[in-house]
Amino acid sequence: MREGTGLPAVDLGTTEMLEPGTALLIPTETSGYQEDIGLFRAETGSYYALDDECPHEVASLSEGWIEGEEIECPLHSSRFCLPDGRVLCLPAVRDARTHRIEVREDRVLLYPGTAATRT
Amino acid sequence: MSIESILVIGGGLAGFTVAQNLRARGYAGALSIIDPAGIPYDRPPLSKAYLLGQKDTAGIALAPAEWYAEHRVELIRGTVRKLDTEYLGVELADGRRVHADRLVLATGGSPRPLPIPGGDLETVLALRNKEDADVLREKTTPGMRLVIVGAGLIGAEVASSARTLGAEVTLIDPVDPPLVPAVGQALARRLHAMHLDAGITLVHGTPVDISKTTHGHSLILDDGRSIDCDEVLVGIGIVPNTALAQAAGLETENGMLVDENQRTSNPLIYAVGDMARTRNPDGSLERRGEHWEYAMNTGATAAAAILEQELPVHGASWFWSDRHGTHVEGVGDMNGVGATVLRLAGEDPIAAFHLAEDGRMLGAASIDGGLTIRAARRIIDRGIIVPPESLADPGIALKKLAR
Repeated sequence: MREGTGLPAVDLGTTEMLEPGTALLIPTETSGYQEDIGLFRAETGSYYALDDECPHEVASLSEGWIEGEEIECPLHSSRFCLPDGRVLCLPAVRDARTHRIEVREDRVLLYPGTAATRT
Repeated sequence: MSIESILVIGGGLAGFTVAQNLRARGYAGALSIIDPAGIPYDRPPLSKAYLLGQKDTAGIALAPAEWYAEHRVELIRGTVRKLDTEYLGVELADGRRVHADRLVLATGGSPRPLPIPGGDLETVLALRNKEDADVLREKTTPGMRLVIVGAGLIGAEVASSARTLGAEVTLIDPVDPPLVPAVGQALARRLHAMHLDAGITLVHGTPVDISKTTHGHSLILDDGRSIDCDEVLVGIGIVPNTALAQAAGLETENGMLVDENQRTSNPLIYAVGDMARTRNPDGSLERRGEHWEYAMNTGATAAAAILEQELPVHGASWFWSDRHGTHVEGVGDMNGVGATVLRLAGEDPIAAFHLAEDGRMLGAASIDGGLTIRAARRIIDRGIIVPPESLADPGIALKKLAR
């Protein structure tokens, strides 16, 4: 378990809110979380959320390139696994923090500060 | 015979990648990296975040210290003085000998000295490793006068960082603008002008002499001009560190010659990164790749080849540079036969695409282009034909053209 308590769920919109392969920045004002969060819709159609800032240097992962279930940072091309935040290649060396996403009926719910669990 | 031990000589990005990939690919035998510097670190920040004090030693490590224990990678701190191809191992400066079933040379390069009188002065600075960066940072105080010879990637990045640290910077290059082979004429011109906007003095010329003065240094240029300054930094490229390999009788030619497996003329010895140079099956030689990604790619290839696994496929070569708050990227080749299409934002060129006569994209470069180069990379690697007018249109996201 990660440190800190998760915040209450935030209803971000319908499951059609993003095209597969695209992402959206969820600002702190929306999530209540202390950092910006990136919401990603993988090419598989699944939704995932990570801290938006790349663990390597200041760059916004939600502006990155989605390929399958991976996000590639727009600045120095480190790749991260969307489901679990694992760093897949240099220059980043740390994993990205995940936030739990739950799809309930046709709504996308974000649990800021609660780590994603692999299903 | 199964491989029970692998020794990587050199702990830069290429050497580290070999070790990382060997473990990721399931190699369970002994694995060591020899390097005088200890824990492997990333070099790109040396001219930027590390020089500026925004990242410390731990912040540029390629992996945290515990990674090596977890993955049973032994770090041997030491300098190799001899490569022994009979014994298949190395001899360190302190007399220790280390043997392994496979050796990987990842000795990198050394700054190319300026071949002029005074170019070999010990006080002339270069930037290649962390110690160089520490020296440069200590000397780069507000108001100090720094002359940088060579306005390539490192020269330009140091100029930007030194300016941020308050130095009075003069950037000298014989070519105006520099970097055309990497990014094309239009972007090179715009990038060079950014130095002026940052308050850097640009000098178009060639130094012919460097001498020490009472307080610093003096340079003389080929047109007779002289420039006084406190410190001189030379950034005109590297020479591959092949002395060990040459002394051991391995084939070199401005680089350690390797095949597509990164294997040298000795089948038990591999070479990766800046110091390796690919010899094609027909005997022709590729240029040495001196970029960050090339080091990583060749390391990944060597690891696969050593374990006799399928070789990874690498796409068009890619590089980046960060200076003056802008991010520059390039991919592929901007110099082959073909035509260049520019994408403008207002009057400023923001991207250049180099197209072959048959319409295939050969190379691309951008300034703050977001995903432009990522998309161009896919276009190049997949041979996607994109109409030049779409490339020129800043209203069309390149990502759409690449899918």
